[in-house]
Amino acid sequence: MSRSSPPTLACWLLETVVPTPYREAILGDLIEEYTLRTESTSRFTASRWFWSQTCRSVPSMVWSSLRSRDCLMSMSIAMSVYIVMEILAYAADLTISKWVAPQPTTHVILAPIIFLTTTAIGGCVAARFRPGATIVLALMVMITVAISIDLKVCTIPVPWWYEFGFLTLGPLAVIITPRLFGRSKQQGAVT
Amino acid sequence: MKRGELLGSLEHIILLALVRLDGGAHGMIVRREIEERTGRNISIGAVYATLERLEAKGYVSSFTGEPTPQRGGRAKRLFRVEAAGKRALEVSEQTIRSMTAGLKDRWGTI
Repeated sequence: MSRSSPPTLACWLLETVVPTPYREAILGDLIEEYTLRTESTSRFTASRWFWSQTCRSVPSMVWSSLRSRDCLMSMSIAMSVYIVMEILAYAADLTISKWVAPQPTTHVILAPIIFLTTTAIGGCVAARFRPGATIVLALMVMITVAISIDLKVCTIPVPWWYEFGFLTLGPLAVIITPRLFGRSKQQGAVT
Repeated sequence: MKRGELLGSLEHIILLALVRLDGGAHGMIVRREIEERTGRNISIGAVYATLERLEAKGYVSSFTGEPTPQRGGRAKRLFRVEAAGKRALEVSEQTIRSMTAGLKDRWGTI
């Protein structure tokens, strides 16, 4: 992070929640003001101001997004990606349990790999269409995993951390993978 | 402006700031103007959400400026008050004036 580059995470948050028509304008305004502030105050003070603006802007932007159709579009994309993800996971699961490794212990080992791969791919696909869709998709993954744990869908006895891993790593894979592979349309840092 | 439809407090302040800034201003300038004049530290998100609402009502219009390196290559969105916005300000002003007429003496006792 160079002296004039604002907090990357805050930029990403804004890229994700701010509706499309004003995304460029808000981020541009904040980056310009941040640059001016780093010249007169410390980077810490400027970053604190940037974060304060981000945190206070998010509720207004989420509400504005809900009022417009932007949020509905993100939800539709997330839902479509989620359905495709589930079909892929089911097909992979079926192939492995029928032909590759029918033993339950092997299934327990392979299930997280399938799950994380499909969620990571889903995250990348959703981010390609709309960065905001990844947040909705992560929430959907988290809710369905929580419901599956509560309903005891997995009949094989597994330790608690195994289920906890699904609950936390799944949504994280959805959010982080697009950033790692640069699929998300963000332009957070000032070069 | 429809009969009985008043400007919200933030809408009113932002429209007044835009009139003061005359010609076209972007969100951060509006935010700064309000902070300097009223001491209210409002978020940039609230400013843009209100500007979006005002634009949907036809009180302001916006146009895109040139992207600059200081803004990370992002373009400015400049806003200006339209005739409907000026009328809305007039109606609001008249309403406030008629509602507060003769009340100044009572404020001390409230």
